[in-house]
Amino acid sequence: MRFWRVIEPHIGFLLQGFALTVAACLIAIAGAVLLGALTASMRSSGNRWVRGAANAYGDVFRNVPFLVQLFFFFYGLPELGIYIGAFETGVIAMSIAGGAFVSDVILSGIMTVDTGVIDAAKVSGLSRVKIFTRIVLPIALRVSVRPMGSVLINLVLTSSILSTITVNELTGAAKIVAATTFKPFEVYAVLLVLYASLTTLLSFAISAVHRRLNRFMTGG
Amino acid sequence: MIVAENVEKRFGDALVLKRVNLRVEPGEVVTILGASGSGKSTLIRCINGLETLSGGKITVDGHDVSTKAGLVAARRASATVFQLFNLYPHMTALRNITLAPIEVLKLPKAEAEARARALLDKVGLGAHADAYPQQLSGGQRQRVGICRALAMQPRYLLLDEVTSALDPEMTGDVLRILAELAADGTTMVFVTHEIEFARHISSRIVFLEQGELIVDLPTAQFFAEDGGLAVRRIRQFLSKMKKD
Repeated sequence: MRFWRVIEPHIGFLLQGFALTVAACLIAIAGAVLLGALTASMRSSGNRWVRGAANAYGDVFRNVPFLVQLFFFFYGLPELGIYIGAFETGVIAMSIAGGAFVSDVILSGIMTVDTGVIDAAKVSGLSRVKIFTRIVLPIALRVSVRPMGSVLINLVLTSSILSTITVNELTGAAKIVAATTFKPFEVYAVLLVLYASLTTLLSFAISAVHRRLNRFMTGG
Repeated sequence: MIVAENVEKRFGDALVLKRVNLRVEPGEVVTILGASGSGKSTLIRCINGLETLSGGKITVDGHDVSTKAGLVAARRASATVFQLFNLYPHMTALRNITLAPIEVLKLPKAEAEARARALLDKVGLGAHADAYPQQLSGGQRQRVGICRALAMQPRYLLLDEVTSALDPEMTGDVLRILAELAADGTTMVFVTHEIEFARHISSRIVFLEQGELIVDLPTAQFFAEDGGLAVRRIRQFLSKMKKD
C-alpha cells in the first residue's frame, strides 16, 4: 500500500508530535478552566476594580489573534528577563487565551443562578468563597459546560499554531515530514485523523461531565 | 432578642419601611401581617442582612447587623425559611441540610448527617434523604427548607411567606410542623397570609401598612371585637384576605 509506505518511516516522529500536542492541550485546558473560573468570579464581584481588571483581561485576549499573542509571549518574555522553553510559553499562552473565552461561558452560567439560592447560602453563614465554589460555580457549570466544550475544542485546534514557535507538536512534526517526503497529502491525512480523534474524545468527555453535573435535573 | 429601632429601607425613591420598631423576645412567635408590598418580607430581609438598612438599627442578641462581625454573629443566631424554598438544586436533601453545619459550625460529617436524618424523619421525609429538590414536591421541598434552617440550631427562625407557594394540602403539612416548633418554644418571626394559623400559634401580631408598623398587639387583643381605628383598618384587610 502506497500510503503506508510513505508514512511508515515517519510514524514514530508523528506520534511523538501527537503526544506533545496532547500534553500541551491537557495542561492548557486545565489552565484555561481554572483561569476562566477565577476570572468569571472576579467579573461577578461587587468590587468594580476587581470587575474592571477581569473585564480588561477578557477584552484584550479575546480581541487579539492568538498568533500575535503567542509571538508577544515568545519574543516578549525574554525581553523581560524571563527565559522559559517554547513548549512552556505555548502552554501558558494557550491557557491565557483560552481562559478569556472560558470566563465568558462560565459568567453566562453564573447569571442563570437563582439569586434566592445565593440568599439562602448567605444567611446560612457560608463565606463568599464557599458560596462561590460550593453553590454558584457547580450550578453555573451545568449550563456552561457545553459551550465550554466548544471553546476547549477550539483550544485544541489552536495548539497547531505552537508549530510557529519551534514546538514540534503534531502540526510542527507534520511540516517537517511533509518537507522531507514531498508527500503533504498523505502526511496531512494522518493529521486529520489524529486531530479528529482528539477532539472527538474531548467531546465525549464534555458530554460525560454534562450528564454528571445535570444528574439532579433528571428526576420527576 | 431581636430589636429593630426606627428601621428605614429605601429602594430608589420608594420608602419601603418607615421608622419601624419591633422587639422579639426569646420564646415568642411574632406574626407580621400586611398586604402585598407593605414591607413584610423586606423587614425579614433586613433582619437577616440580605438588605442593608437605609436608616435605624437592627440587633440580634445585641449584634448589630450593619457591621460585618455583627452580621456574622446575627446570622449564626438566626435561620431563614424562604417562600420559594431556595434549596441548592445540585445537592440532595441531605446535603442541603448538612452543608452549613459542616462548613460553618464545623460539625463532623457523620454527626451533621445523623442530625439531618433525624430532622428529615421528624418532618416525614426520612425516605427522601438522597432525593434532589427536582424530585420532590413543593411541600416536601419546603419541609427540607425547614430542616435546613433547623440544622443550624438557630435561636430565631425567620419564616418568609413559607406556605405562599404551596397548595392547601401541602400548606397543611408545613403548618403542622411549624405548630410543633412553636409548641416546643422555638422563637419565630413569621410573615404570612395564613391568618387563622397565625391566630392559633402567635403570641403577638404586628401589622404593616405601606411600610409603617401601625399595630403591635398580643394575639388575643388583635382579634378582639372592640378596637380603635387601626384595628378597623386591619379588619377590612382581613375580610379582603378571606375573600381571596
